[in-house]
Amino acid sequence: MAIPNFLYKNNRVLLKELTKTDFKLRYQGSILGYLWALLRPLMMFAILYLVFGQLLKFGNDIPHYPVYLLIGTTIWSFFSECTSQGIQAIVNRGELLRKVCFPKYIVVVSATLTAVINLLINFIVIIIFALIDGITPTWTWLIVPIVLFELYMLSLGISFLLGAINVKYRDITSIWDVLMQALFYAIPIIYPISMIAETNTTAAKVLLLNPIAQVIQDARYCMATTKTDTSWNYLSESELIFKFIPICIVIIMLVWGSWYFRKKSKKFAEEI
Amino acid sequence: MTNQPNTTDINTPHNNEPIVISVKNVHKSFKLPTERAWGLKQAILNRFKGIKGYKELKVLNGISFDIHRNEFIGIVGRNGSGKSTLLKTLAKIYFPEKGSVEINGTLIPFIELGVGFNPDLSGRENIYLNGALLGFSNKEMDAMYDKIVDFAELRPFMDQKLKNYSSGMQVRLAFSIAIRAKGDVLLLDEVLAVGDAAFQKKCSDYFASIKGQQTVILVTHNMDNVIKYCDRAILIENGRIKLNGNPKEVAEAYNNLWNEQK
Repeated sequence: MAIPNFLYKNNRVLLKELTKTDFKLRYQGSILGYLWALLRPLMMFAILYLVFGQLLKFGNDIPHYPVYLLIGTTIWSFFSECTSQGIQAIVNRGELLRKVCFPKYIVVVSATLTAVINLLINFIVIIIFALIDGITPTWTWLIVPIVLFELYMLSLGISFLLGAINVKYRDITSIWDVLMQALFYAIPIIYPISMIAETNTTAAKVLLLNPIAQVIQDARYCMATTKTDTSWNYLSESELIFKFIPICIVIIMLVWGSWYFRKKSKKFAEEI
Repeated sequence: MTNQPNTTDINTPHNNEPIVISVKNVHKSFKLPTERAWGLKQAILNRFKGIKGYKELKVLNGISFDIHRNEFIGIVGRNGSGKSTLLKTLAKIYFPEKGSVEINGTLIPFIELGVGFNPDLSGRENIYLNGALLGFSNKEMDAMYDKIVDFAELRPFMDQKLKNYSSGMQVRLAFSIAIRAKGDVLLLDEVLAVGDAAFQKKCSDYFASIKGQQTVILVTHNMDNVIKYCDRAILIENGRIKLNGNPKEVAEAYNNLWNEQK
């Protein structure tokens, strides 16, 4: 495309301005403001901890269960916020797309970046929790950003793909809501995977092939307790090839999503 | 060139300047939904019923023209003639099915004033957001900022939220960004005549002053403005160029459109 020949740098400026606006307006008019970015996941954690940790005793055989649970709920909140904002982004910014020409992916990325900022804030809280709970920091903590990046790539891929379809078929938003409910229970966030393995080992293994589960379990393994069953160490040596399934899903989603989004983005202005 | 009979020979002072915009045989049509498939269910049902779900509407039907540097071009035509679609095609918001649009330089499109304006942001923040949307860096906006604010005469209000501006003030701010934005080509769709009499006088003076120094494409229904500012005008009717030439002749032809019908 010859014109508007916006430099890469100017796209970055636009991304920054849109993200700043999103973040600034998110908690507009609330007394606690940005604090809600912290309070919401913490409250979700408190409820889950009370019900499943204290009353149902899910985490009895897991050391540092509160931190273990908090890592799970925080990462889940991030994925949920990231995709729901990302999928809606193009439709929400429809007015803009009809009036100015700029790379459409910027809208999706800026919508998800607010979730990234919230995730970073929440991880500071997790670190504080971990230190209070008596966990000593190790070098494995440094792996956590890598797996979180992997999850962000998955979220972007999903947002690109479903966001593009959502322009024409708004059912996507509702379908995704339901799917997220199901996913929440299909991922060992509140329960340890060993509870599933007691009745059906194959089911437990299949559940761990989900990249979201892989990311959560890896983060827990690195930060909370090495007793976590990760996708990598839960599958046996003979199943080596399956260990690569989660990362393959992420790569496929990202490539497929970006390709589809690129293909459809020319027509967004007309179809919204 | 084929099928462009109505180009009157006109010697604008810019004929020797390089061509900045070259539009060649542009076709654009839209699929107008007859029974909108708003959801999966309707889409599937329509397929079963054998309903295509849309009919095709040809909006642009082979449009070709060139614009030289520093020309002030007026585009006129009645509602639904394809003006706005043409403008959006120039701005690369729409992509033509056939033909090509070539632009040498940066084009600053104002299809509407105040795109992306957010009522909960301050005047200052809105200027920078709007600038970013038009492809300007913060540094470039820093350079333009004072001129924009001065032209809008809104300096005391820059830290107020936009929702506390009167509608006239909002339009003034948006308009000031539009005309102070530094690009090679300025694209304005129906954005004259904003603000009170004093502000209008100011805009009018400004347009007179940039005439011949900036390429401007102006879409309007006001023939007085066409005659006053434009070096050349283009009349569009049913997606085709009906007349391309002297602003006075075009204005006359535009006014005659209604007489013809009677």
